Amino acid sequence: MAGKLNRRQFLIRSGVAGASALSLPALLAACGGDDGGSGGGGNSLFFENWPEYIDEETVALFAAASGVDFKYTDAYNDNNEYFAKVQPLLAKGKKIEPDIIAPTFWMAGRFVQLGWAQKLPVDKIPNMANLRDDLKGQPWDKAQEYNLPWQTGIAGIAYNMKATGRELKSVEDLFDPAFKGKIGMLTEMRDTMGLVLLGLGKNISQITTFDEAAAGFEKMEKAKNDGQIRAFTGNDYLDDLSAGNFAACVAWSGDVLQLAKDNPDVKFFIPEEGGTSWFDTMIWVKGSENGDAVAKWMDYVYDPVNAARITASVQYMSPVKGVQDELVKLGGEAAALAEDTLLFPDDATLARLQSWGALAEEEEAKFDEAFAAITGA
Amino acid sequence: MNPTTRLATVASQPERVGLGVMLALALGAVALGAKWVSGPGAAVVAALMLAAVIGLIWVAFVGGLETRRALAPYGLLKPGVLWLSLFFLAPLWSMVVMSLSSKQSRFDFFPSFSWEWDNYRTALTDFRPQFLRSFGYAAIATLLTILIGFPLAYVIAFRGGKYRNILLGLVVVPFFTSYLIRTLAWGNILADEGPVVSIFDNLGLTGVLESLNIMDNGKLLNTPAAVIGGLTYNFLPFMVLPIYVSLEKIDPRLVDAAMDLYSSASAAFRKIVVPLALPGIFAGSLLVFIPAAGDFVNAQFLGNPQTTMIGNSIQDQFLRQLNYPVASAMSFVLMFIITVAVLVYTKFMGTEDLA
Repeated sequence: MAGKLNRRQFLIRSGVAGASALSLPALLAACGGDDGGSGGGGNSLFFENWPEYIDEETVALFAAASGVDFKYTDAYNDNNEYFAKVQPLLAKGKKIEPDIIAPTFWMAGRFVQLGWAQKLPVDKIPNMANLRDDLKGQPWDKAQEYNLPWQTGIAGIAYNMKATGRELKSVEDLFDPAFKGKIGMLTEMRDTMGLVLLGLGKNISQITTFDEAAAGFEKMEKAKNDGQIRAFTGNDYLDDLSAGNFAACVAWSGDVLQLAKDNPDVKFFIPEEGGTSWFDTMIWVKGSENGDAVAKWMDYVYDPVNAARITASVQYMSPVKGVQDELVKLGGEAAALAEDTLLFPDDATLARLQSWGALAEEEEAKFDEAFAAITGA
Repeated sequence: MNPTTRLATVASQPERVGLGVMLALALGAVALGAKWVSGPGAAVVAALMLAAVIGLIWVAFVGGLETRRALAPYGLLKPGVLWLSLFFLAPLWSMVVMSLSSKQSRFDFFPSFSWEWDNYRTALTDFRPQFLRSFGYAAIATLLTILIGFPLAYVIAFRGGKYRNILLGLVVVPFFTSYLIRTLAWGNILADEGPVVSIFDNLGLTGVLESLNIMDNGKLLNTPAAVIGGLTYNFLPFMVLPIYVSLEKIDPRLVDAAMDLYSSASAAFRKIVVPLALPGIFAGSLLVFIPAAGDFVNAQFLGNPQTTMIGNSIQDQFLRQLNYPVASAMSFVLMFIITVAVLVYTKFMGTEDLA
């Protein structure tokens, strides 16, 4: 119940924060012009991140250790909506308030391609060497100079054992008529469609045009018309899953690990056909002048000791090498996490994960429009 | 004619001066708000507006009492006219321009005006189901609020006695809570394992409700009924309050008089109470129907992919597809249909004295 209240509050807070904390000061800043940034040496930092995506200590510890005037908010709640919010300022060459944001990889790619991200002060981030090798050199950032991953995770399937009455193992289970009207999907197109396409045996990392994915969209359209899908949700799917409104749904690994602690009926699995992997990644927004503070922060969270503390709290896969060893050192519950195959997947699990490649602007528009038609909007 | 006498001639027609200055100010405000002019041009327009106001004050000053009296109505209208020009007409103009623009690329934030009527075709054809659904749901919700709200207002107005204000307060108090919270709370109330569904199950009503299309496959949440129910609940006070106001004004002695003249209670109700309450019902149905048709919160949290309303689609076009031209066209179509519907409704139902 407490968890529910928290998400309620967070929805409201993000609404209010979205309106006031983001746009209003940004607009005021845009009107007011210069607010006294002192070149690269600015000693303040503003990181706008997703909700419930950091532990309770790190913000204060970093501020104390670095002397940076650090502000951390969790008003980043949806990639597309955040983009729509900041586009009016960035498109006009004005700056937005946050120095760092952590969009999902494909949205980070869009920021980079539009020229709205700055090259990171890589020289001042020695711990960047701890970045996991599999995350390096994205197609839109081959030299690894624009983005530094924050957390990574898996989109798979979660289900409520009480509502399904049986173990699930396949994407096909989402389309089982026995669960008619009890299936939830995410509004995040890549996570939902990725699983459906994997279920059809497609290799999503190779998909570059809409035509290659059309079969998956047809399958979804049919499922929607049959009343199979109950709702498309964002972060709030956890409520429906826990309450038994969803028998099964597309879900993010870390969320469900947190929920399963309170509700043992809730289970998460990577379907036998495969799951999608994704990462949210820090970028330095164009117009920010606090390069030194940005470097200090990124270096700080790429220290495995600090990264392990964050992992122990958010329970997503860390992009930082060496976290597993640090978790063992922490002992107790944290040490148990070091054994978790969803946090530290073995090679066999990793082999079953795929991630989306880059989609060209026009093709991405087709995907988004087709997906909007399925969500009913 | 020297300048002074010319000014005197102008000043002798104060109505024209007042009207002229007011329209000029409105035009100036729209020009500034809709960015017809910018930079130095905007400064010039602002200066001209200021000059017009100063000129007006001068006319009023030299014109004497008669002139000032003639100018007064325009003076009193000016704040309202300026406000509406800046915050209603100017945005409306921008929206019209946007709805006829086209984008060069997906992330083009400055669509260029090109008489793109195709946007309206898209709005009307691709989103027809959502439009129909919105007006259908809003109409049903309006009827339901009348059915629920009228007896409620009636009891409060005629039987409330000294508890009248408390009862009225009870209608309003829940709405001090945020709209979003209340709607989300309905999600819990209507959930599959929630209280309402389990009562229906225990009473064996599920089958009946399913055959009436109120429940679907044993669930109540995420059905059209839940969306309509949410709309009805959220807009109920907008129906109760106006009806209450018109009922409260009724002199109870009118009913007594009818009864004295051998009217039956039901005839007195039909021929006296209902007609006198009509202005309230009329105002209430406008207050409910218009926002309900554009609502997207209820469909978002209580609906399913087949119950989305036009508000959800407009939001999606604006925030996800970044298709501002089509979103503007959709908004404009929505406004247009509502305006026509209201005009037609006013024509048939309209009364001179709105509550």
